[in-house]
Amino acid sequence: MIVAEQKPLDEVRRMIAPYQRVLILGCGTCMTVCNAGGEREVSFLHNALKVAQVKSPNGTHTFSEYTVKRQCDPEFLEMLDDKVADVDAVLSLGCGIGVQAVAERFPDMSVLPGVNTSFMGMTSEWGVWDERCAACGDCRLDETGGICPITRCTKGILNGPCAGTKNGKCEANKDMDCAWILIYKRLERLGQLEKMRRYYPPRNFRTIPRPKRLMSKANIDLGENDG
Amino acid sequence: MYLPITDNIQNNQVNRMKKSSPDHSLMPPCQVACPLHMEIREYVDLVAQGKIMEALQVIRNDNPFPSICAYICNQPCEEACRRSQVDKPVAIRALKRFAVEFGGDRMIQAKAETTHSERVAIVGSGPAGLAVAYYLRKLGYPVTVFEADSEPGGMLRVGIPEYRLPPKIIDAEIQRLTQMGVEIRVNTRVVSLDLLFDMGYQAIFVAIGAHRGRKLRIPGADLDGTWTAVAFLRHARLRQRVDVGEKVVVLGGGNVAFDCARTARRLGAKEVRLACLEPREGMLADASEIEQAEEEGIVIYPSRTFTRILEQDGHVAGVDFLNLRSMEFDKEGKLHLDIIEGSEHSLAADMAIFAVGQGPDLELFSGLSGIEVTRQGTIVVDHDTLSTRHPGIFAGGDVVTGTSSATQALATGREAAFRIDDYLQHRYPQVGKEVEGRLEGDLLPETIKMIRKTERLEPSILSTGERVESFEPVELVYDWEVAINEARRCLRCGMGAEILFQDKCATCLTCLRVCPYHVPYLDDSGTIQIPAEQCQACGICVAECPAKAIVLRKPYDRRHITEELDHDLKSAAQSKSKPFIIGFCCQYGLFGTGTLAGLWRGAKAGIWIVPVLCAAKVETEHILRAYEMGAEGVFIAGCGEQCARENTAFWIRQRVEKVRRTLSQIGLEPERLETFNLAATDEDPVKALDKFTEKIGGLHLISVIMQEVKK
Repeated sequence: MIVAEQKPLDEVRRMIAPYQRVLILGCGTCMTVCNAGGEREVSFLHNALKVAQVKSPNGTHTFSEYTVKRQCDPEFLEMLDDKVADVDAVLSLGCGIGVQAVAERFPDMSVLPGVNTSFMGMTSEWGVWDERCAACGDCRLDETGGICPITRCTKGILNGPCAGTKNGKCEANKDMDCAWILIYKRLERLGQLEKMRRYYPPRNFRTIPRPKRLMSKANIDLGENDG
Repeated sequence: MYLPITDNIQNNQVNRMKKSSPDHSLMPPCQVACPLHMEIREYVDLVAQGKIMEALQVIRNDNPFPSICAYICNQPCEEACRRSQVDKPVAIRALKRFAVEFGGDRMIQAKAETTHSERVAIVGSGPAGLAVAYYLRKLGYPVTVFEADSEPGGMLRVGIPEYRLPPKIIDAEIQRLTQMGVEIRVNTRVVSLDLLFDMGYQAIFVAIGAHRGRKLRIPGADLDGTWTAVAFLRHARLRQRVDVGEKVVVLGGGNVAFDCARTARRLGAKEVRLACLEPREGMLADASEIEQAEEEGIVIYPSRTFTRILEQDGHVAGVDFLNLRSMEFDKEGKLHLDIIEGSEHSLAADMAIFAVGQGPDLELFSGLSGIEVTRQGTIVVDHDTLSTRHPGIFAGGDVVTGTSSATQALATGREAAFRIDDYLQHRYPQVGKEVEGRLEGDLLPETIKMIRKTERLEPSILSTGERVESFEPVELVYDWEVAINEARRCLRCGMGAEILFQDKCATCLTCLRVCPYHVPYLDDSGTIQIPAEQCQACGICVAECPAKAIVLRKPYDRRHITEELDHDLKSAAQSKSKPFIIGFCCQYGLFGTGTLAGLWRGAKAGIWIVPVLCAAKVETEHILRAYEMGAEGVFIAGCGEQCARENTAFWIRQRVEKVRRTLSQIGLEPERLETFNLAATDEDPVKALDKFTEKIGGLHLISVIMQEVKK
């Protein structure tokens, strides 16, 4: 899941300052799960903005709110036509993808990001999320016991551990487990320690072109003999 | 549930609005068990909130004579109460007594208008007869009740001792019926039902009860000094002279036997003994009856069979007994006794009372066609319509069921009134369907483990000395605080949380993670489920669900805080007192801790209390809304240790911290949001609140000065 956090209220207020009517738009998928932009956060932000407006009235706004199932699919955005027609800006609590999808769907509308999209990760307990994937496009988790050194090692090194590990903790963040110690232990448990002894050449991320596009469908040209 | 099908996906939020109001609560086991299906959960909760008048209103909706039930109901609801799986059932009957007495039941006036011309005769003024009279009168029929005794009430009057049901309670109900226009003719024994038809009555309800006492067919059973329980209680209650001797033996072990024994004790008998077939642990009487009787000095002789009443000069002199190893009834209802040979012994007595059952006197029906009598000597009626096969004759109460409870009789009476209405209006009987939407299933051990155990609080009773001296009611009424804390023990079965908006649910598992009782689970298909029979209705998942997909099953619970808050905000705006403070206070704690009085006394002008049914239900949006509408300070006061849950405070703190962070971003002092514990022992919550008020007043002053400076 994509994990994000809501932007500080001051920043949001600065962003919306030029616009009178603002639609706060939530996202019902990842942003709901990571407590950043689901229906509850949408109405919390809505309320907070209204309180701020009462307390220091510099510019009055009228707010509306709505939450779609997923902002990153254009079909879900079709139902927003009426709502967007009535506002001057959309404050999207979707991740960076959601904001861009909304901007793409409504080219004449100012679309503002309400959250800082932070990482791809998982829930570790209620209210706590951890990063797990950097979307590097070249997954080697089979070689590292299912533990990603790109995201979980501070230095992202491929042939760890480095000399900075002490008692299984990282020198850069002393509360954090050293990813390579975790990898070693996991491989030991799996009886695959020989994978530790291999050398992995440095990766060249520049060979992966951006922006990326994926296709699960085949490119088919229908010829005269088809169908 | 039927929902209009729409072809437009845009309408889904409109549909959500429609969907958010239905009542999805399930009928709790107590209500299912109650013959009257009273809304017990609702009135117990109202008592817990200190809303006694409202509780009484709910009680009166389903019960024509709640004061009577409050004294003598045999409380099948408590047997069904799921709290007994945790510790002990909620003391429902005692709470009803509290509600009717403190709510002022006796002040309530009943009214009825005559809208029908068909007259109905009711034979017998016991609970069944009176209930029929009440409901038929409400339906607009002219009603006449015929009572053979000098005072109306049937078994309520002549079968239940005064210390269990004071006559003034019956009198009050009778007076109310008379006010409604029910004609009650006492000292009028009906000898012929045909005659009633001739007199112009178009329907007759026969509720003559079971007033014929039985004796065992043993030698000496008819000696001078032997009584049936029915005759004995009736004599005692109608204040006819009963010469209780020095030594009384009661034969039987049910509640009636105990009524006799305890009445004899109050009439002055020195030694009262009670012997029964059942072993001690199998006795049919209520545990409290047995306990109180023993306190009053009544000696119990269980596992005994009675063989002979001894005679001296034509009068009772004692009773012969044999000890039993065991007793049981076979499939045909025949009694088998395993007697211990050579265990003959006798007890001296000058009075022997047979409390071994009673049946109806069916002489009234002789010569009538269409009346069928069972082997037990009761009348057969149609299960649905309560009518006999003789047109226009209906029957109910003990004459049909055999000895049963007053509450059952009231339920039958209510049912009969509607069936008689159907009959008189030539309608196909509108028989009520089986109760739908029941809450089924027991609590799981994991759930039980997480429910805080609380002791059942019994109402106090008169001391033994005071009891045996008079016929004063044994059980006293709860006082305010005890009643509220007992009512709070209710688990509110069947009104918990549900995922109402499956389309919104992101299966984020927040509910599963935050539930204090570990109730939500993922089913095999990966869908989150909140089983209704486990949910404890704490509302934490409702307040935490990031998709707002979860609601409480009762519409009132969903909108309660918002409505109360809006009401307060409106009043605050009108009063114009500055600064004003909104306080979300646990409604249970306000009363249950006794803080309420202090809070009202100590609270300064400008404090507006929003009563909430558990502080864990206060959401961040409620708090922000208060600030938006001009509150300068907000506080949340929970009931601390009294809460049914361990971790309510954790969730309140989480939300408070979140709002405080937002407040500081807006430029408001985070100290404007505070939490209090209504049950705190180290600091008086009222004083703590006073300090908070002063602080907010100070902040108010500063902000006024700052604005002046800015200008």
